[in-house]
Amino acid sequence: MSNLNQDVSLEQEIQAADNKNKVWKWLFISSAAFMISWILFPIYLLIVSALSSAEVVNGWPKAFVPEFDMETLQFFMNYYGVLGALKNSLIAAVFTMVISIGLGTPAGYALARFEFRGKETFRMMILLTRAFPMPLLALPLAVIFINVGLDDTLFGLSLVHAALALPFAVLITSSLFLGIPVELEEAAWVLGCNRWQAFMKVVMPLALPGLTASAVFAFVISWNEVFAAAVLTINNQTLTAFLVQSLSSSPAEVKFAGGLILIMPAILFLFVVRKYLFSMWGIANR
Amino acid sequence: MIKKIILPILLGSSIASASEVVFYSTQANPLKEADAMRNDVLINFDGEVKFLPQEAGPFFSRIEAESRAGSVTLGVLGALHGQFPQIQDSLDSIDDVLGSVPEIKSNKTMSELGKLGSQNQKYIPWMQATYIMAANKKALPYLPAGADVNALTYDELAVWAANLKEATGDAKLGFPAGEKGLMHRFLQGYLYPSFTHSVVTDFRGDDAKAMWAWFRDLWQDVNPRSTAYSLMQEPLLTEEVWVAFDHTARLKDAFDQRPDDFIAFPAPSAKAGRGFMPVIAGLAIPAGTPDRAASVELIKYLSQPEVQVKTLKATGFYPIANVELPADLPANVRIAGKAISMQANAADALPSMLPVGLGDMSGQFSKAYKDTFQQIVLRNADIDQILDRQAMVLKTIMVSANAPCWAPDKPSDGVCPVN
Repeated sequence: MSNLNQDVSLEQEIQAADNKNKVWKWLFISSAAFMISWILFPIYLLIVSALSSAEVVNGWPKAFVPEFDMETLQFFMNYYGVLGALKNSLIAAVFTMVISIGLGTPAGYALARFEFRGKETFRMMILLTRAFPMPLLALPLAVIFINVGLDDTLFGLSLVHAALALPFAVLITSSLFLGIPVELEEAAWVLGCNRWQAFMKVVMPLALPGLTASAVFAFVISWNEVFAAAVLTINNQTLTAFLVQSLSSSPAEVKFAGGLILIMPAILFLFVVRKYLFSMWGIANR
Repeated sequence: MIKKIILPILLGSSIASASEVVFYSTQANPLKEADAMRNDVLINFDGEVKFLPQEAGPFFSRIEAESRAGSVTLGVLGALHGQFPQIQDSLDSIDDVLGSVPEIKSNKTMSELGKLGSQNQKYIPWMQATYIMAANKKALPYLPAGADVNALTYDELAVWAANLKEATGDAKLGFPAGEKGLMHRFLQGYLYPSFTHSVVTDFRGDDAKAMWAWFRDLWQDVNPRSTAYSLMQEPLLTEEVWVAFDHTARLKDAFDQRPDDFIAFPAPSAKAGRGFMPVIAGLAIPAGTPDRAASVELIKYLSQPEVQVKTLKATGFYPIANVELPADLPANVRIAGKAISMQANAADALPSMLPVGLGDMSGQFSKAYKDTFQQIVLRNADIDQILDRQAMVLKTIMVSANAPCWAPDKPSDGVCPVN
């Protein structure tokens, strides 16, 4: 009898726990849905407006279903120099990524693993490159670039963008390496690896998702930067330098279509590297 | 070999052909205008030209950088009258070019402006525009009794705005008072001249005080979103606003997209007259340009009457050269053109010149007016106090620029006084 009673109370407890779980689950799902729509809804509106004709974009009420009017997008595709600028933007962004990862990873590793004089100062100083506004730097930079022959080249532009992206690359990678136990590396040394091999075979695979994240950062910084790109390039303008400023004084439907073209490559890039980002956040590979 | 093939690949760039003239411009910046410039206007130019529109900030930085480094790639510069002073030191003197464009030279007042207050010609006037009013036809029934929309007074405009607010529940009058809007031109070229017959001298006179009080009252019936508007064609098209003031090129899309729904009309008048202000864009050549002869050819080409008409179609800016306008013009030109000529030829017309001789103080000059507007109208500050303070600011600007008065102010001996 007493056993039976116990069972009943146990069942009730399980029931209560279940209910509690359900509430949490719903809370979780609804907040996730909210956060997803926070990101996706504006992009959705952008797509709808980009695929609509001028009358619909300027009309009221706003449409929520695209009417697949390609006129504005087509105008862009035929617009002089858009494809070239798109290519330039991609090249500059990839250069920036390579430079900032190539320089940022060793710097981050050094900050994480070694003790040296002025380490804290270095950590602060590296943020200083972001302390000066671009319009202030662009003029002297342009003068120097013209003098050394880097003017109007994507490589030169990538150097500037890499300087902007480096603080993030260094700080992200250093905290990344801090999170990887030094014992793993030591074990690799004991088992016969030299420092470089241990880094490549043990630390690197663990750090890859984080490195991807900082690469994404570098890519996005380069992709979004307008002022330096506009001043430092003439014949090799990037897409943002080419479009963003002209867009601000263009009619609404052109703004939407241009906006779509500007965000598309960045979204595609994120899609390609999502695997590494997911594994960093502890979600299984898919 | 190395320089031509390997280097470009290595540096990820192409090296432009030497004969190409780079036409760098703050004008025709909106995408569709730039497209029309390339495909309709520049297409028949005998030679290679690369049209690169650019925002003012990077435009100035680029020109200054090239001039400091002593290595110039730009061929022709297109900018507004008010923008040239900032890069005046980087410009070549082009008196020789003015001689070869008689159709521009014959317009004495304008070609004189191209000297920027110096001895030599710094730019050749390229095209012109002005600011007018636009209205949705739905707003016309609410005009105050007896008012003629083409000869409106500012008091009638106020009644009209109040009527609209009462009838629709929304404030339907709008001004471009946003970050990139041209509100300061309304204050300098329209409001001040119309009420005080002055821009600088009577900045804080009794008429100016009354004007600001009037404008603050009017603002009750102005759409509060005005502080976010840059180009009035957008709120006009969305019908957020029914009556608006703006630059003709910034109203263009409204007239083009719905020519049957909108009208254009001259700016209103007040007791001193119907103040209005022209906008002039010019063409200049940077000192040390790679192929000066080609740059000169391009300026000559753009000054030809038929090319000026094409430019009008592309940008909504009117010719400087004296030309017969053809019949097949786009809607915006037909609609705005009539209002512009009514504005300029009105019996009480009071043309206000662009600020002359301010040099690189032009930006601060405009800011002084914008700040005054913000303090008095938007923040409801004390009119006397703000006008006294801003008058000192204005005085400092005039003294440090050493600028004499310009119309509608009376000519001055030496620096233009602020009473």
